[in-house]
Amino acid sequence: MKQKKAQWPWHILTVLVLIGLAGALYYATSLMSYEWRWNRVPQYFVYQAEEPQRAAEFSTVSQLVRKGDTFEVSLRNDGGNEQVLTVDAASLQVAKGDDVSEGDAVGMTHHWAAGPLLWGLWTTLWLSLVSGVLGLLIGLATGLCRLSSNPTLRDLSTIYVELVRGTPLLVQIFIFYFFIGTVLNLSREFAGIAALSLFTGAYVAEIIRSGVQSIARGQNEAARSLGLSGSQSMRHVVLPQALKRVLPPLAGQFISLVKDTSLVSVIAITELLKSGREVITTSFSPFEILFCVAGLYLLINLPLSKIASRLERRLAQSD
Amino acid sequence: MIEVRDLVKVFDTRGQVVRAVDNVTTQVARGEVLVVIGPSGSGKSTFLRCLNGLEVFDSGSVSIDGLQLADPKTDVNAYRREVGMVFQHFNLFPHMTVLENLCLAQKVVRKRGKKEREAKALALLEKVGIAQKAHEFPSRLSGGQQQRVAIARALAMEPKVMLFDEPTSALDPEMVGEVLDVMKTLALEGMTMVCVTHEMGFAREVADRVLFFDHGKLLEDAAPAAFFDAPQDPRAQAFLRQVL
Repeated sequence: MKQKKAQWPWHILTVLVLIGLAGALYYATSLMSYEWRWNRVPQYFVYQAEEPQRAAEFSTVSQLVRKGDTFEVSLRNDGGNEQVLTVDAASLQVAKGDDVSEGDAVGMTHHWAAGPLLWGLWTTLWLSLVSGVLGLLIGLATGLCRLSSNPTLRDLSTIYVELVRGTPLLVQIFIFYFFIGTVLNLSREFAGIAALSLFTGAYVAEIIRSGVQSIARGQNEAARSLGLSGSQSMRHVVLPQALKRVLPPLAGQFISLVKDTSLVSVIAITELLKSGREVITTSFSPFEILFCVAGLYLLINLPLSKIASRLERRLAQSD
Repeated sequence: MIEVRDLVKVFDTRGQVVRAVDNVTTQVARGEVLVVIGPSGSGKSTFLRCLNGLEVFDSGSVSIDGLQLADPKTDVNAYRREVGMVFQHFNLFPHMTVLENLCLAQKVVRKRGKKEREAKALALLEKVGIAQKAHEFPSRLSGGQQQRVAIARALAMEPKVMLFDEPTSALDPEMVGEVLDVMKTLALEGMTMVCVTHEMGFAREVADRVLFFDHGKLLEDAAPAAFFDAPQDPRAQAFLRQVL
């Protein structure tokens, strides 16, 4: 009889190995006398922004009313117009009766603002989303062209796929920005998205093509024998099954895309990696920031791969 | 009703030329039931697939009620509406329920309204005895049930002719009967049918004519009694000795 062995000692070993690796890393950085300053990191995610409250025109402070931690400052000018500003108590710079000129700050307000790392994360997210959707559409069209009976469509789509898959994405981004972007006067975001979505489209095309080809020929024959045209059969019978089958590789492609957006930092789009590098120049904490950047990519991609594997399991059940 | 004249289909795989259908001429009258038999690789399935254009033939002609399949002016999709086909491996659409399988072509091709097509589908499922499975997915059905759904799906288009391509060959033995029963009912109702099958009992009982194929050639065309009791062609004699 086969004995079921306990798994938990092995999991404990895994944890020990990880701790060992972390210790080794710490030791290595201590040799090069690196000073870890994690406390500097949070301000690059969110920080308290100060906003000066300024007088609109030359006027006099007519009234100061304290409300908790804030002051309500009333300004009155010669014409009798009143302006009311609310500022933090600690930052109040005027007293009752003071004259202020146009543009003078009477105090500050504070509010939470997103730091460069969060802005970078946001840029990475929308770049991925827009390029992903465009790439999917391009890939679907190209994949179907690859299977078309029309030789021109077939040739063109094959050339596109081979060109894109055979050259580095980094080179494509440079070509899009410096060559095509200059000729057509494209913005850097446009060039970046175009390069990313064309790159993704080529891979999606191959995924779609293999998905369609993996659907048994009998499915198309059954549809055709019922009088459906070729495109009706593709739309109602073959594609729905093929798309279902290729969801996991499509999700994988999207995860790759999220990581590949880091390459558009070379054309000065301030996405996550570029933001991180900018932060490093002001914080002098390169290791912490780089780990944070890596962590943020993981934060996007781990849920994605979780969703992908769940989809895969659910779809496997309905077959 | 069906006219087949000098039909030739050649398969050319890496220089190896096989005449899968070799100069076949025959016809099927309205309401007639033809059973096509022959050893495997004899071209009988290819012949059947040529009848609705799933296999594009090299020369000759096939027509149904005067509508020429090979005529470039003929809309192949319109032609196929009139010809139902049942496959060895059922080929039900696995991503649709039984009801949706029956409704798809009615909706997309015949443009029938929802009520009309569902009523038609349910009536046909009733007829083949699986109305209670209407909302199941095909994977939940047995092979025999799936094949009966496939027959109902073809019938939903109200075809003039039904083609059967070894409809019971992929079934477990205990399920062959239920499918053959449905086919017999259809034959009794006067459906024009061409069946490729290995079911000799069905051929003897239901067929009006038996066609015997070997190496792509139509070697014998006779009433079942004459064919089974006194086959003329020596290869038909040898074949029958082996299967009976």
